[in-house]
Amino acid sequence: MNAWAAIKARLQHLPRETRDTFFLLFTIAATALPHASHLPLWCTALTGLMLLWRGLLAWNGRALPGRWSLSLLLLVTAGLTLLTHRTLIGREAGITMLVMLMAMKTLELRARRDAFVVFFLGFFLVLTQYLYSQSLLTGLWTLVSVWALLSALVLAQMPVGQPSLKLAATQAARTTAIGLPVMVLLFLLFPRIAPLWGIPSDSVGRTGLSNEMELGAMSEIANDESIAMRLRFEGPAPPPQSLYFRGPVLSRFDGRKWRPLPGNNNPFITRAPAPRVRGQVLRYELTMEPLRLSVLPLLESSPEAPGSEMDVQGLLLRRSVDLQWLAPRPITERLRLNQQAFLDYDSGPLQPTLGLQAYLELPQGMNPRTLGWAAELRRRPELAGLDEQAYAPAMVAAVLRHITTAEFIYTLAPGRYGEVTPHLIDEFWLDRRLGFCEHFSAGFVVVMRALGIPARIVTGFQGADRELQDGYLVVRNSQAHAWAEVWQAGRGWVRVDPTAAVAPDRVNLGQALSPPPGALAGALGQVNPALWQGLRAIARSWEQLNNRWQQYVLNYSRSDQFDLLKKLGWRSPDWQSLGQLVGALIGLLAGAGAAWAAWQARPHDGWSRQRGAILRELRRLDIAAAAHQAPRQWAALLRARHGTAAEPLARQLLALELSRYAAGSTEDAAGWLNRWRWLREFHAAGRMLRHQTMKTS
Amino acid sequence: MVQSLRRRARAWWQARHPLSDTHQMGQRNIYILPSRPGMFYCITLVVLLLASINDQLSLGYMLTFLLAGAGFASMHATHANLRGLSLDLKSPQPAFAGDDVQLEVRLHNSGRARYGIGIQVRQGKEAEPAWADVPALGHSMLQLRCPAATRGLMSLPQLRISTRFPLGLFGAWSVWRPAARVWVYPRPEQPPPALPGQAASSGEGQRAATLMVRGQDFEGVRPYRQGDSIKQVLWKKAASAPDDQLLVRETLAPASRQRWLDLADTAGLDWEARLSRLTAWVLAAEQLGQPYGLRLGAQELAPDHGPAQRQACLELLAVAPLEPLR
Repeated sequence: MNAWAAIKARLQHLPRETRDTFFLLFTIAATALPHASHLPLWCTALTGLMLLWRGLLAWNGRALPGRWSLSLLLLVTAGLTLLTHRTLIGREAGITMLVMLMAMKTLELRARRDAFVVFFLGFFLVLTQYLYSQSLLTGLWTLVSVWALLSALVLAQMPVGQPSLKLAATQAARTTAIGLPVMVLLFLLFPRIAPLWGIPSDSVGRTGLSNEMELGAMSEIANDESIAMRLRFEGPAPPPQSLYFRGPVLSRFDGRKWRPLPGNNNPFITRAPAPRVRGQVLRYELTMEPLRLSVLPLLESSPEAPGSEMDVQGLLLRRSVDLQWLAPRPITERLRLNQQAFLDYDSGPLQPTLGLQAYLELPQGMNPRTLGWAAELRRRPELAGLDEQAYAPAMVAAVLRHITTAEFIYTLAPGRYGEVTPHLIDEFWLDRRLGFCEHFSAGFVVVMRALGIPARIVTGFQGADRELQDGYLVVRNSQAHAWAEVWQAGRGWVRVDPTAAVAPDRVNLGQALSPPPGALAGALGQVNPALWQGLRAIARSWEQLNNRWQQYVLNYSRSDQFDLLKKLGWRSPDWQSLGQLVGALIGLLAGAGAAWAAWQARPHDGWSRQRGAILRELRRLDIAAAAHQAPRQWAALLRARHGTAAEPLARQLLALELSRYAAGSTEDAAGWLNRWRWLREFHAAGRMLRHQTMKTS
Repeated sequence: MVQSLRRRARAWWQARHPLSDTHQMGQRNIYILPSRPGMFYCITLVVLLLASINDQLSLGYMLTFLLAGAGFASMHATHANLRGLSLDLKSPQPAFAGDDVQLEVRLHNSGRARYGIGIQVRQGKEAEPAWADVPALGHSMLQLRCPAATRGLMSLPQLRISTRFPLGLFGAWSVWRPAARVWVYPRPEQPPPALPGQAASSGEGQRAATLMVRGQDFEGVRPYRQGDSIKQVLWKKAASAPDDQLLVRETLAPASRQRWLDLADTAGLDWEARLSRLTAWVLAAEQLGQPYGLRLGAQELAPDHGPAQRQACLELLAVAPLEPLR
């Protein structure tokens, strides 16, 4: 207890250097904290240890570690990074190194000015957070860390005494607040251009859809509640279980990863029939958030034939043979489009073709037990001797029945596959039987192929929120899904969703199966339903706020910029009009700045200004008057030079003398209006006098 | 050509910065440039912007522009941190060559509080600035030192008033050429040499000592004047005096002895060393409290003592010609 009090007392009277160091360490920790979830564990731990070590050194006033130990630390870090990421230059490796370097830099922070390096690294670190999340919460958190970084920067510029942290924080906030208009203008008007080089990577921590699928990779996406797209249907929205959004189609399996068929992704192969659509056409408006994917997941299925093109805001999309909508590059902007779809359809050739062979390939020598299981199924008496038309549907039904009856469990946390055996499908299909959509679709497709039925995996989104939001149906990243397509003679490609067999709710409600509410939430709901409802309402309005943030801030794009210009009066806005607006604003600001500077520089009292004007007028009248003379003397000079003609001017000057210096003169003689009137009269008289002298000469 | 250009540039520079005893900082005499960290800040912003464009991060744009806005605002804040501040200089005390002249600068602030104002003496090697905060509507003081290398009436070096507050991304500065000049006396010889005559023989010293004692001797009687010590009053005589007049004992003043400090007595030394010795003598003689005179070739200062005499002697020595006097 006593020791605690002593520490508390010491904390209140820390020497400035120590206190500043602590502040900086906390700032760095706060900046790096959001990275903890995706950094390797060793990196988080080592960063924490280093910051702690630096804090202890500051607390005890010990010397900083020497160059050798730091070099060793750097080597260890580089080695560990290399081990974890297999590279030092990739993005995630870069972030790991950035965090480590920042922590290490604190260990060699001697002068306050050295801290600049830490600040600039800190700003980078803040930016890298946005690669993972741009939610409102992230925005607020990073705002706080930027504020702390700027406060530390201010603190470094206050060399005298022991300025309080509050003062530094106030100054930082003040400076930032003054700069806020600049930020808003830049944000609104800085042209949003396409990536300058390379493509935005979809690798960093993106748990969304990708062009590859590995068992277990999608597990994290279940927690990503951010919005993927919004739809508005003409007429009532169809039930969620019928909403499948077709993303990347994956057909090649190497035993571990699923990839698209290379030929199928080639947009120039167009010899394929259009999907055969039936039933009611659904028209809808779609707003797609940037998914950083070069496939646009549209509702199954739009009626266009493979090879057809679609222009969406300057982006040319092309339909591939397997009915994906392919973009030439990852889509990083928000897209808005109107489309139509038919929920009931099938596609592809009706009779077997050579092309279907690709959908039967399985990796050599892999998953022997699953192949054996399939061969056994095939030999079952009730399934033997079926004809070509009936074979595939019967097999599909049998396998789905097996999924329902055998003890398969749908879980978002199935653990890792492939750690003890290379035969992942064997492990899933026969041993552990735990998994979610991607496990079920992968297992199903492998079994189908083993049975000689062409099959492929389709990834995308399935379902939507039950409640409309501002009239829109919302599809979230957590609704990413993987299902299968099976080719049947006479029907073509038909969708089969094996997940529906094991977890019908996933598909029927269109809800990702979230973990059951915790014990606390359950108890709360029973004890105090009103409070529980209130909490849920708060959660909902927070979500709405988050959506607004998403819509107005994060998705602010080129089209929004042009919309803004339209509102400002440009009829057909383009880059040029944006340039004009920026130019006009810069001109306006520069003009305002110059005017302000001139206002600041002019004499501050009215009398000085009035005297300047009088002297200029007298100089025009050829009189060498000086500022130190009294108006009475100027009058004398005038009379001497111009005689009686100058009498009005002289009288005015004498009146001025009286109003300024005579006893009992009042303040109202000094008002700006009086001064202005006086000067107007004076200038008029001066003009008259000049006119007269010109005539006489 | 180059010479004339340089001369013109210097003339322009000096016209821009007239000598003055106070320095009011405003738009006309504050300069501002990005500092080195400011350059790095710019580079950081460009990299952040590129990253935001390439990864199409809206929040990245926001961060970049927020920082850009803060940097832009900090430029104005740095300028405003100096603008409107006025400085004046307390007239500096004389110093000896080789010592430092102490400057005392007062900063007056008629606006909001200022932080991190540095003042630096610009003379030869740049010194570390001295830092001060100036409270709102208040003032603060700063002590500066500048080395006084050579004797003479030295004009003060330029002062550079600078700040990087608040973010350190811009450095704003102003140059002040103080009009005041400061006396730099020759460096006194160390260790202090014996006074002339004193060292000549110990007999002389003894005589001086007896003279001091004789100063206490009874010399005569005179009427009391205000300020006379009570001990000096002759009470018995006063009692017998007819008109109650107090009589006091008059003693011989100890200051009867004059001393001449003569350049000629220092013959055989280097010129500056001779001046140094004279300086040391002046200081020693002043301390003894005896009148002394200074003879510098044809120039002479009549014997006297007191601060004024000391100052006159030292100033005469300070402006002694650079070449030896014949």
